[in-house]
Amino acid sequence: MLQNRFKLFLSFILAIFIAFSQPSFAWVQSETNNSQEQEQTEQSSSNEEDEDAEEQDEEETEDAEQGDEETDEEAAEENEDDAETAAVDEGSDESKTQASSSEKSSVSPQNDNEDTVTSQALKTIVYYIFLFIIISAVVAIFNRIFSIYKLTQVMNGKYSYIKENSIQAVLLIVFLILFLAGVYYSYAVWGKWSFRKAATEHGQNIDSMFIVTTVLTTIVLVLMHILLLGFSYVYRLKPNRRASFYPHNNTLEIIWTVVPFVVLTSLIIYGSVIWKRIFDVPEDLKNSAIQIEVLGEQFSWQVRYPGPDGEFGKRNFKLTTPTNSYGIDFNDKKAWDDLRASDIVIPVNRPVRFHILSKDIIHSFYIPDFRVQMNAVPGMTNYFQFTPTMTTEEMREKMDDPEYDFIMLCAKICGTGHYNMQKKVVVVTESEYQQWLNEQNKFFTDDMKKEFSVNENIDKDDSKESATASLN
Amino acid sequence: MSSTAITPEASFQDSHEEKQSFIKKYVFSTDHKMIAKQFLITAIIMAFFALLLSILFRIQLAWPDKDFPVLEFFLGKWAEGGRIKPDFYLALVTIHGTIMVFFVLTAGLSGTFSNLLIPLQIGARDMAAPFVNMLSYWFFLGSCVVMTASFFVESGPAAAGWTVYPPLSAVPTAISGSGLGTTMWLLSIFMFIISQILGGVNYISTILNMRTKGMDLWKMPLTIWSLFITAIVGLVSFPVLVSAVVLLFFDRSAGTSFYLSDLVIGGEILPNEGGSPILYEHLFWFLGHPEVYIAILPAFGIVSEVLSINSRKPIFGYHAMVYSLMAIAVLSVIVWGHHMFVTGMNPFLGGVFMLTTLIIAIPSAVKAFNYTATLWRGNIRFTPAMLFAIGMVSFFISGGLTGLFTGNATIDIQIHDTYFIVAHFHFVMGSASMFGMLAAVYHWYPKLYGRMLDNQLGYIHFWLTFIGAYLVFFPMHFMGIDGVPRRYYAFTEFPFMEKWVSVNILITWAAVIAGLAQIAFVWNFFYSMRNGKKASKNPWRATTLEWTTEVKHIHGNWEGEIPTVYRWPYDYSKPGHPDDFIPQTVPHSETMSSNLLQDFHDNEEAIKIQKEWNKENNRVESES
Amino acid sequence: MYMEINKEEIFRTHRAQKFALWLSMIGMFMLFASLSSAFIVYTASGVDKGIKTILPSAFIYSTIVIVLSSVTIHFANKAVKKEEFAKQKTFLLATIVLGVLFFVLQLHAWSVLIDRGIYFINTNASQSFVYIFTGMHLAHIIGGLLVLIRCLIGVSRKIPYIRNLYRMELAVIFWHFLDIIWIYLYVFLLLYQ
Repeated sequence: MLQNRFKLFLSFILAIFIAFSQPSFAWVQSETNNSQEQEQTEQSSSNEEDEDAEEQDEEETEDAEQGDEETDEEAAEENEDDAETAAVDEGSDESKTQASSSEKSSVSPQNDNEDTVTSQALKTIVYYIFLFIIISAVVAIFNRIFSIYKLTQVMNGKYSYIKENSIQAVLLIVFLILFLAGVYYSYAVWGKWSFRKAATEHGQNIDSMFIVTTVLTTIVLVLMHILLLGFSYVYRLKPNRRASFYPHNNTLEIIWTVVPFVVLTSLIIYGSVIWKRIFDVPEDLKNSAIQIEVLGEQFSWQVRYPGPDGEFGKRNFKLTTPTNSYGIDFNDKKAWDDLRASDIVIPVNRPVRFHILSKDIIHSFYIPDFRVQMNAVPGMTNYFQFTPTMTTEEMREKMDDPEYDFIMLCAKICGTGHYNMQKKVVVVTESEYQQWLNEQNKFFTDDMKKEFSVNENIDKDDSKESATASLN
Repeated sequence: MSSTAITPEASFQDSHEEKQSFIKKYVFSTDHKMIAKQFLITAIIMAFFALLLSILFRIQLAWPDKDFPVLEFFLGKWAEGGRIKPDFYLALVTIHGTIMVFFVLTAGLSGTFSNLLIPLQIGARDMAAPFVNMLSYWFFLGSCVVMTASFFVESGPAAAGWTVYPPLSAVPTAISGSGLGTTMWLLSIFMFIISQILGGVNYISTILNMRTKGMDLWKMPLTIWSLFITAIVGLVSFPVLVSAVVLLFFDRSAGTSFYLSDLVIGGEILPNEGGSPILYEHLFWFLGHPEVYIAILPAFGIVSEVLSINSRKPIFGYHAMVYSLMAIAVLSVIVWGHHMFVTGMNPFLGGVFMLTTLIIAIPSAVKAFNYTATLWRGNIRFTPAMLFAIGMVSFFISGGLTGLFTGNATIDIQIHDTYFIVAHFHFVMGSASMFGMLAAVYHWYPKLYGRMLDNQLGYIHFWLTFIGAYLVFFPMHFMGIDGVPRRYYAFTEFPFMEKWVSVNILITWAAVIAGLAQIAFVWNFFYSMRNGKKASKNPWRATTLEWTTEVKHIHGNWEGEIPTVYRWPYDYSKPGHPDDFIPQTVPHSETMSSNLLQDFHDNEEAIKIQKEWNKENNRVESES
Repeated sequence: MYMEINKEEIFRTHRAQKFALWLSMIGMFMLFASLSSAFIVYTASGVDKGIKTILPSAFIYSTIVIVLSSVTIHFANKAVKKEEFAKQKTFLLATIVLGVLFFVLQLHAWSVLIDRGIYFINTNASQSFVYIFTGMHLAHIIGGLLVLIRCLIGVSRKIPYIRNLYRMELAVIFWHFLDIIWIYLYVFLLLYQ
């Protein structure tokens, strides 16, 4: 009875699958369905370039997906065939797709797009659901076969739970090997992609802290996994084995409390020293550094340099207007020479102190290559002082990439554009820096002055003076 | 006036009638076992929902430039043109995190297993306050409903991350989910906190007051210890989230300035002044950090139990395990600042929190070593529960070790809010704690439903999930080291991120396959309820009290008197005893040939009797 | 079904439930403690922060009222222990009335503050905190009133003595707790005014 039901079910599944494996229904087409629809309506003037691009995309993504899709071999084969034929013969493909699209739906006008989206979507859903059902059916069949096998073994008195148990133990050892191989691979490949020397002074300290921690943790990781999975294998259920009643060992407990304690204390001390070095900057060093102010907002950064007077003008968020989007209070004369920069440019080997502000949301000022991160919190100013040790040129040489740039990006969820809130950071030589500074514009532009003189009473003489003074 | 005399039976009459209506028995049940099932099934449903959300955003990450008409079909305006919108992407990650951390790993783990195991393992008829217990479930269900309903709101669900930091969450114009969606999030979490406090109060009181005769604190199984300590931590820390949420609610709805100051959003200058988002962060993380320990502590207890039973050995270092649980709990309330190393708080605080955070690694390490030692010289039986327990230890080792990076303030400068952090917490919570929960489900399913789960499906479930989870989360560490921040909609805007897109594809496929593997679990779970092999009273041959109850559930758990407990719960493979386990209810007088002098603690009389017996029978007490 | 339900088990459950009440009071305490520390941190963050006003005298009156209500409920408890149900009823009623009076006085205090121009919506959140503290406390007072009303209903319906006694026990503990929390809050706010 069961067998019949199974057969019925299977044949049903197979039938549907065959029906769906025809080109007109396969997933490949659903990706390019839009282009096909367009094709239909503009039969004569189909844009061949578009088609080429679409097909290329199709193939690329196909390859990527199929490379990873190991489970549905049948489907992959079918699709590959389609793709190959599509690639080989463009002309025939055109007609094929035209034919098939006319097959499945009569002329559908362009404003029928929603319907096609729905029908596409439905087809995709149905296809994947059937795929899953088939795989599950296969799994269920294997399960059933195995259960029957087990039952016959039990009936013959040949069943051994021990054997079944040992399979799991063996699998654990196989996993251990794969795990260790995986760890090695990830360090070798991904580790190489991700870890490169920091381009700042304190960054080198952070890096040595990082390397020490990595070495320690990797040793523990590998050792513990060997023990954990090894013990599982060695001490798997055996017929005449009795576990050893070993409830505790205080000496061992003390050892493996004290050793981690010592290791961790050293890490803590090491970390604290570096932490203090980064954040406990002496007053004079604070003042002698180059000051740069960065204002984060949704979804960009504005950069302010203090200009020749070396001081920032006050900022009052209440004065924010479309023209004065920074909110600078130009009543404060120190603001008149503040420079607006489009990139962050700093000279190498000189300490620079960033004042980090936010206009609206918590953002984060993050420069990975510098090992610099500090939140931009509205209502307070945060600071981070560091000294770059590598120019952009040097970095480009090192990375063997003539277009490499240090980048600052936002690292605190701030809304829709969080993933694209960046600022280029360029490290240059001292002379390049001075040159660049001279080229920067002020915040206090003419428009700003107009707006300001409308709002406030500026002593016209004063403004003239500062106007001439700033032309350096 | 005289009072009406009360007969004991009369007082029970109204709460435990002979024949209970369907509503009373299944829906508004006050029986702890039924409540446990309710928690579990609700949590499984929510887990699937959150899993689905994660697959959606993984699709976006792996194929950022591709259109998926399917998505538009289901999500409508949130996936116009077949691509998930950035706003909705952030809503997905927010709700995924919220559901997984709160509803699945807190309510689903400690809610379910505290309710099931506490009365059964300590020998009580039911919880201290069964009615309050029932309320705890219904508040939880209510919070699930509200959270799910937030998806059907015009402006979308909360989208400021599961941490819901203001000002992003406080100003509706900052992101669309911060409108009604966030209000619903706050309401849902408020109900959830009430649920947890009502439950926790019950758990603590029951454990302290309603243990059966002979059940001293030091005879309780580690599961109970962990659930006990979890409840205490919850009681102390959840109310703080209430204050964080209440203040945020008023900032949003009324315009107060607790957290807000100096805001110009969308060109609009907001009137709030004087507040600080850092205040919110402190209040939130005062709960937030203990919360994640609340997620893992029950898993610790469960794994101790499962490892011990299936190795047929006592858990190594029972007392040390209890002390480390306590140490972790105490330390967990003083480390919250490590989430705020780069917020600009006083650097001195950074040093303090780094100290406490790295110290917490010590009891955690002790536990990992003890687990491994439990396996040594055992006789291991690989039930699916056992595999999940071993998997939990593996994930905890991997994830816990990366905690040494994240807890170190200097390294955190580099990896904060990057994929490294995502990898870290997904290992310790999303994998270790989840595997603890799955181990518990596989292990106690016979107790919940009186039937056995299918082993083959269990193996398939384990291996696919175990390998899948490693493939999903291990590569993320390296992304984080490279500086790829979290909660990023796409990696397409930065040249340095482009090499990780191919890795994203690997991760997504692994996630999809691991996600599909959960269907094996769900099928197994629901199918075996009716069609699984009928369970015996003590299928795992365990020593603890819950296996002395009948398979069929009855109110009051034991017909007749509750059994008395004589020994600790880990008498497995005791030399001199024919069986490889001795239930807790067997008095020492019946096991003279295997008693150890230390079993009697300081009972002089008993030690004397044992010594005499040993002499008479030429028994030399050996301790392995 | 329980085969042997005995009195001992009922009393054990009662004891456990009383303990559970103490535990939930720990939770409530943590709530007010966290609000207090938030207040302290906030107020310390600037010279322009702080309550900056003398608290309305209505708060003094409400303090007296709530202390009185603790006294009345104490007598109600004594009465029920002596099985003097009429007295219990009277004192319970008095407690409820005083509780409601407390509620009204708190609202009056709020209106006094508003008249002074100290609004809940405020850029000086220390002042907003005053509303938060008193408001959260009032929310718990509502809970307490419900508990008291339940007791009153119980006495009026002449429920079994043991249950009456038990309900009163829990109500008394909770009500005293609310009283103590108020005194703590009031002193705390006084110190910061």
